[in-house]
Amino acid sequence: MEKEVALSVKNLNVKFNLRGKILHAIRDISLEVYKGESLAIVGESGSGKSVFTKTFIGLLDKNGWIDSGEILYGDKNLAAFKTEKEWLTIRGKEIAMVLQDPMTSLNPLKTIGAQIGEAIEMHRGLKGAACKAAVLEILQDVGITEPERRYKQYPHEFSGGMRQRVVIAIAVACKPKTLICDEPTTALDVTIQAQILDLLKNLKKKYDLTTIYITHDLGVVANVADRIAVMYAGDIVEYGTSEEVFYDPKHPYTWALLSSLPQLGKKGEDLYSIKGTPPNLFNEIHGDAFAPRNPKALKIDFIERPPLFEVTPTHKVRSWLMDPRAPKVEPPEHIKELRKMGGKATWQ
Amino acid sequence: MAKFGSCRVKLEESVTEILRAQSGPQNDRREGKSGRRDEILRAQGSPQNDNRGGKSGRQDEILRAQGSPQNDSRGGKSGRRDEILEGESGLQNGNLSEKELFEFAGYDEACAEKIGYSNYSYWGSTLRAFLKNKVAVALMVVIFTILLFTFIQPYLPGQFEPNLVNNDASGKLLRNVKPNSEHWFGTNSIGQDLWSRVWSGTRTSLLMGVCVAIIEAVVGIIVGVLWGYVRKLDFIFTELYNILDNIPSTLVLVLFSYIMKPSVTSLIIGMSLTRWIGMSRFIRNQIIIIRDRDYNLASKCLGSPTGRIIFKNLLPYLVSVIMLRMAMAIPEAIGSEVFVTYIGLGLPIEIPSLGNLITSGRDLLMNPGLRYQLIFPTIVVSIVTISFYIIGNAFADAADPKNHV
Amino acid sequence: MVKYLLKRFARSILTLVIIISVVFILLRLMPIEGYFQNYEKLTNEQIQAGIHNMGLDKPVLIQLKDFFIQLLHGDLGTSRIYRANVPITEILASKIPISLQLGGIALVISLIIGLPLGSLMARSKGKFWDKFGTAFIVFVQAVPAAVYFLFIQIFGNEWFGFSMLFSKDNYSTWIMPILSMAIGNTAYYAMWIRRYMVDESNKDYVKLAKAKGVSDNKIMMKHVFRNAFVPMIQYLPTSFLNSIVGSIYVESLYSIPGMGGLLVDVVKRQDNTMVQAIVIVFACVGILGLMLGDLLMALIDPRISLNKKGGAR
Repeated sequence: MEKEVALSVKNLNVKFNLRGKILHAIRDISLEVYKGESLAIVGESGSGKSVFTKTFIGLLDKNGWIDSGEILYGDKNLAAFKTEKEWLTIRGKEIAMVLQDPMTSLNPLKTIGAQIGEAIEMHRGLKGAACKAAVLEILQDVGITEPERRYKQYPHEFSGGMRQRVVIAIAVACKPKTLICDEPTTALDVTIQAQILDLLKNLKKKYDLTTIYITHDLGVVANVADRIAVMYAGDIVEYGTSEEVFYDPKHPYTWALLSSLPQLGKKGEDLYSIKGTPPNLFNEIHGDAFAPRNPKALKIDFIERPPLFEVTPTHKVRSWLMDPRAPKVEPPEHIKELRKMGGKATWQ
Repeated sequence: MAKFGSCRVKLEESVTEILRAQSGPQNDRREGKSGRRDEILRAQGSPQNDNRGGKSGRQDEILRAQGSPQNDSRGGKSGRRDEILEGESGLQNGNLSEKELFEFAGYDEACAEKIGYSNYSYWGSTLRAFLKNKVAVALMVVIFTILLFTFIQPYLPGQFEPNLVNNDASGKLLRNVKPNSEHWFGTNSIGQDLWSRVWSGTRTSLLMGVCVAIIEAVVGIIVGVLWGYVRKLDFIFTELYNILDNIPSTLVLVLFSYIMKPSVTSLIIGMSLTRWIGMSRFIRNQIIIIRDRDYNLASKCLGSPTGRIIFKNLLPYLVSVIMLRMAMAIPEAIGSEVFVTYIGLGLPIEIPSLGNLITSGRDLLMNPGLRYQLIFPTIVVSIVTISFYIIGNAFADAADPKNHV
Repeated sequence: MVKYLLKRFARSILTLVIIISVVFILLRLMPIEGYFQNYEKLTNEQIQAGIHNMGLDKPVLIQLKDFFIQLLHGDLGTSRIYRANVPITEILASKIPISLQLGGIALVISLIIGLPLGSLMARSKGKFWDKFGTAFIVFVQAVPAAVYFLFIQIFGNEWFGFSMLFSKDNYSTWIMPILSMAIGNTAYYAMWIRRYMVDESNKDYVKLAKAKGVSDNKIMMKHVFRNAFVPMIQYLPTSFLNSIVGSIYVESLYSIPGMGGLLVDVVKRQDNTMVQAIVIVFACVGILGLMLGDLLMALIDPRISLNKKGGAR
């Protein structure tokens, strides 16, 4: 399969200034996003997933900055953007974002027709009746019934799921090439989640989008992702295709993450949880950030950062366990069982 | 759902964090987190050293066991890394053999739980934020100086009585004398020394302002607490508030002053009449929040007594806004006093006040030669009011946790 | 919504009734001289007769009842000292127009200057305009109005040669009074719109607008300012009130024959019935203003009014 690169991140470092102290939020990440794929970035809260994607459209908070690295998009280096004008060529038009909380993402005092129309007017240059027609079309695309009536309504007249559809509509209205979805279903009811994910999948197909999902919910990941990147403490510790990461994970953190799925537990057993807490990113981290919480850590894990080891051309792991010199460590039992479950796994 | 797993991790994290945050630097009052360490230490017979945060962890344990002097400067940063690098020989030697590098390092639960130590202190950050505001700090100095001076001034040598009518050597009335070495601010139309009148007036006006602020605070807090705590009273008070809030305060002041004979006390009361209402409403809202906010509920669940919740969760916010209102009360009181004097309901002329001085000076506006009688009190009023306003606002800004970043 | 309005209206009326009653009763505490011109020259019998005529010897509550009836007929009473035996409504009618005119113009000016200033301050947060605007606001809010009115007078007179005496036909004499009345509200609006705009800028929907590619400028004007303006509307009627009260000062400073100046006069002369009437009128205007403010808010904020019409929930 032809794999054209849509976005390429090279050695990205992002820092924040918090009360005078420097927080190293993204620690030297390199990743490639391929055209037309669905990439999921998984990690716990605070791992840096949102920050990572915010750098793609220049939405970093005022006290944050890109310390070093490149973000190559087409022929541009997004990390080097300094002016708003430069960002206006990317935001919406090329890369659009769906934010997390639909309850607050919409302007409460504007009709949703106006809000979607704003995007259309800006990026497609349509005005008046043509614009309204386009808005109605998009409303239908995202599955909002009675678009004519809804066009005139305000956000507070919509339920959470419908608001998220509107937010998605706004993102898609710009006809972007890449769509970033930041925890699109976290704030929604379980029943609505599936609908929204289906919608996103359909839109992806229809508009040939490259989608990046940010989530801490492995169920979502299983549903939508072609490739998965696992983030921990500002670094990507493992990435590969969905099958590879779910059925053949290699990094102890991925093991731990997958082990936390209640489905894998046996009735009557304690639920598995990872002991300890993520490290403090104000401090400099030596070696593998996950080492203090890893019962199977090697001494070198505390000293030097592991390089990326290749398992298959598409599956890379940043763990010393992959080094030929390291002792063989078997993944926990239930991880092995995952392999057996294979195509029968349902995550929802 | 996959969610449960990660949620459980999150819950544990946050509980640990809460415990850590509440105990602060007293990490070492052993809450089981460094449990293992103590066990080992005790087993090795070393004296327990309480000054260790959880930060050094195993490293110190090993060092001490080997008899090396404890080195506090390590902090949490080196932690296990140094421990490993030092290895068995106790030397700071980074050269471990390849074979050793790839050995298992053992699992220390204590280290796993190590989070960054947050040194956030609310009052500390507030003070720091306030001090960053150079203008506010400068004005505090100014106000303090003025305050000091208003009290000291009568005791300085060579000062005239504010109400004393001054005559010159030949017995002639020293009316409207321009500022000179004798009378630094000059004299007014009946020969009274303006310098002392201005300072006396400042004293009076400031006194009135402070009294109004205090009354507002006391009455406001009492009513507010009752209003918030005693649920049965809530309805009555709320309706009462809605009615009272609708009444323009200036009118109340005018009316009150019209009816009562003007004196310092009556003015103070008139000015306080409407201010306490705002304060009490605010306090009441805060009290209700004690009952309703989730983080207070969480504190309760963790076993914090109500007093502690009030003290640590609520008081910081309460105090800072109480102080803001009190700081604002002073320029507003001075303003009201000037207004009321202007209408003719102010203090009698024997009691100098900034309002008096400005009003009588005002009549001389047309005469450029006599304008000095207006300018001095005006400048003092401006400095005092602007200072309190800025200080009050700066303090409120500094006390807002959003500005503590 | 209708229910809400009725409730609000009823509350306003109740407040008004209470105020009127309180004012009325309090004024009964005033010395009798307030009811008679040339008090010193009257004999005791004349005084007694006068008191009886004015109904001042009846029990207070009866007087109150009578007064309310009187009010409902549109009679605010009669002046005794200021303009003896002239119905107060007549006196007020001649004074109100000029106050309204000046107040109205001042209000418009303060909106035209205050709102753009505040939004400019919000947009250039921390930079020059913000600092300049803040200095202006601090000065106007902190320093008593009396003081900066004087500054305006001095500067207007010295630098521009404006006369300090108001005359209806000479428009140059309108400038200083209107400026004085407008300045307080200008600072007030600028401060509030800035505060609201800064608050709105931190909200999520602004982030989304940014993500969809709207330029910062457009976000400020079309989203932030418009949303920040909505809560401002409740302040409009109230600040109209402020200008009325401020007018008390300004009018006497410039000898303007309006309502405010009238109040000062009658207070000085201790004409009780007039003080009572004017206070009541001011209170009415005040309460009306607050109610209008709430009403406007309910009309303009779609979240409030549309809540009653079933939205999809």
